[in-house]
Amino acid sequence: MVSTWFKKIILSISLASLSTGCQPLWQAAHSTPKPVIVKLSGWGASPIEKKLLLEVLKDFERSHPNIQVKFEVIADQYMDVLKTRLIGDAAPDVFYLDAVEAPFLMQANVLEPLNSYITKDFDLPDFSPNLLQPFQVGNTLYGLPKDYSTLALFYNKKLFRAARLENPPKTWNELFANAKQLTRDRDRDGKPDQYGLGLAPELPRLVYLARAFGGEIINRNGYATFAEPKALRGLQAIVNQYRNRAAVLPSDVGSSSGSDLLGQGKVAMVIEGNWAIPYLQDNFPKLEFGTAEIPSMNQRPGTMVFTVAYVMNHRAPHKKEAWALISYLTGKAGMKKWTSSGFALPTRKSVAQELRYDGDVLRSPLVAGVTYAIPWQLGRYPAPITNNFNNQFLSALLGQQSLQTALQRAQKDANTQIQSSQ
Amino acid sequence: MGTASMRTLTPPVRVHQNNIKFEENLTGYLFMAPTLLVLGMFVALPILLAFFLAFQKVRLLGGLDFEFVGLRHFARLTQDERIGIALKNTLEYVSIVVPLQTVLALLLAVTLNAGIKGQKLWRVLYFLPTLTSSAVLTLIFMWIYNADGLLNHVLARLGLPTYNWLGDPAVALKGIMLMNIWSTAPFFMVIYLAALQDIPQALYEAAMLDGANGWDRFRYITLPHLKPVTFFVVATGIIGTFQLFDQSYILSGGSGGPNNATLTIVLAIYQAVFRDLQLGYGAAIAFLLALIIITATLIQRRLCGRDPL
Repeated sequence: MVSTWFKKIILSISLASLSTGCQPLWQAAHSTPKPVIVKLSGWGASPIEKKLLLEVLKDFERSHPNIQVKFEVIADQYMDVLKTRLIGDAAPDVFYLDAVEAPFLMQANVLEPLNSYITKDFDLPDFSPNLLQPFQVGNTLYGLPKDYSTLALFYNKKLFRAARLENPPKTWNELFANAKQLTRDRDRDGKPDQYGLGLAPELPRLVYLARAFGGEIINRNGYATFAEPKALRGLQAIVNQYRNRAAVLPSDVGSSSGSDLLGQGKVAMVIEGNWAIPYLQDNFPKLEFGTAEIPSMNQRPGTMVFTVAYVMNHRAPHKKEAWALISYLTGKAGMKKWTSSGFALPTRKSVAQELRYDGDVLRSPLVAGVTYAIPWQLGRYPAPITNNFNNQFLSALLGQQSLQTALQRAQKDANTQIQSSQ
Repeated sequence: MGTASMRTLTPPVRVHQNNIKFEENLTGYLFMAPTLLVLGMFVALPILLAFFLAFQKVRLLGGLDFEFVGLRHFARLTQDERIGIALKNTLEYVSIVVPLQTVLALLLAVTLNAGIKGQKLWRVLYFLPTLTSSAVLTLIFMWIYNADGLLNHVLARLGLPTYNWLGDPAVALKGIMLMNIWSTAPFFMVIYLAALQDIPQALYEAAMLDGANGWDRFRYITLPHLKPVTFFVVATGIIGTFQLFDQSYILSGGSGGPNNATLTIVLAIYQAVFRDLQLGYGAAIAFLLALIIITATLIQRRLCGRDPL
């Protein structure tokens, strides 16, 4: 009895070891080779966007059976985590990169130049040059933009009608005149309960105004120059509006953002991007709003464009497969699916045409802006420039100091910080 | 010849003793070897490495590279406005939190020691916040501090002014202080409680016979007996509060905002290393922090008179 049990155990053990030991042998003969794993990382998005991306990735895996995509969301502190992983050689093969962070990584030699991978079929000229430029150093291209948003004027049609205004303003002077008409103090307590314009007092939303009269935010070496008189001129107009109480900040009236201000009817106009459209439609279904291109200042059109690219890790082990993923995601089919729901605007002109975004009533002003928009990018040191600008600009808005003193201080502080960090 | 005679002259017992001493030492060090190894690896080595790094400019991204820069990082420390702000914030935080949490801990301990009903239940309730992870506590407090959060609701109900606790630079740090006092005081309370139970009851009885009232007994018996424990509580309190990081990191999303109001020294180290990838500068700030903590502890020891530890 015991001996038969013993035999059985021996037999099963030897069988087990045989089968596992021999697996590679007959796997090689019968099944396809193991798929190559490509790691992709990005930041968290809304559940709908995430679902859409996973669908696109599934399509990719179906058409590329030899590649498996491992998508990982970095939920918080994206750039800190990514930089640490790049240093520790644990970075994903393909990842999202915001245009504003691109210069630092491009000069650090951690991104794979994509020029040699791009074929004629990929049709690079289909991308707007304004969207490729942030990811280029000279002729070397490091990233392909996945989507973008420009800024446009969002206005409340009902409030416009109530103020007997037919069309959204075409110039900033008109806008300021309209804002005055649209500011109302219904309960006459001296504090308006409806303002003309909602403001976002942050550098990423203001660069185009600083440049309207020929000013520059940074010089060639990446140092801040926003306190020069030409740059001040455009920004001063915004400060004046706020001091004259025709414009308001979200925090002044307990709102969380510009879209929120418009949705709650606290302002008649606000300057926002594509993200505001689904937000307003979901949260304020009764709101009658329209969009228009941002009015021109100094007879020049101007807006910002925010874009994010897919880039490849310079040390990715499977570059061919990583490129296959990037070229699918930014290719015509992949991009069409990714941008089909309107959460993101396509960076390819052909896809925009196919999805008829140029004819979309709400999105066409956003699409039109891309040709003259200024990409949001600030050289290698965006953080000290943005932080110092935002802090001091806010104090100028609140009337604690003149805009000139405020921005001179911000510029000096930013440049000291940049210099000492070198 | 001379050496040979010397050798015969030395008593054999002495050699034997030396041998035993050496063997004893060796055994001792062998027993300590695991601890020494761990200490060396995780305490001594990092300190040495940090010292080395503080004088280097390190390139991390795209190939590791060191460059000796001498005292440049320390010179930058003296000019860096944000370090000044971080220092000011941290000092403000320490000088408010340490006294308050010590007094609160003592008060809680004395009341619990007075023999009120349901002592054990109170002890557990008081101690709960200390057991909770500070990250979880911070997230819960973020809900409480939210513009439409619990705290503002309560304040509004009571007819008091409400604040934008997380967004207003004037109150953001105060919010963290409140949270930390609330969560650390009970830990020190337990230590005080243990010390209170060590005070001989006879002293109180004798004092009562001499006509001392409750306050006299607290002032002249309890407090002097608690002095060594108070030194411990204040010293660990100062060290802990100087190292404030997680709460302000979570509350401000790593930025130290609004407007640098919650920027602390450790957060500045984190930002230098992980955000700006300046390892050397981060190490220099860490040395500044170590220097401050050591000075504070030494001053405190001097103030306490004798060496109570």
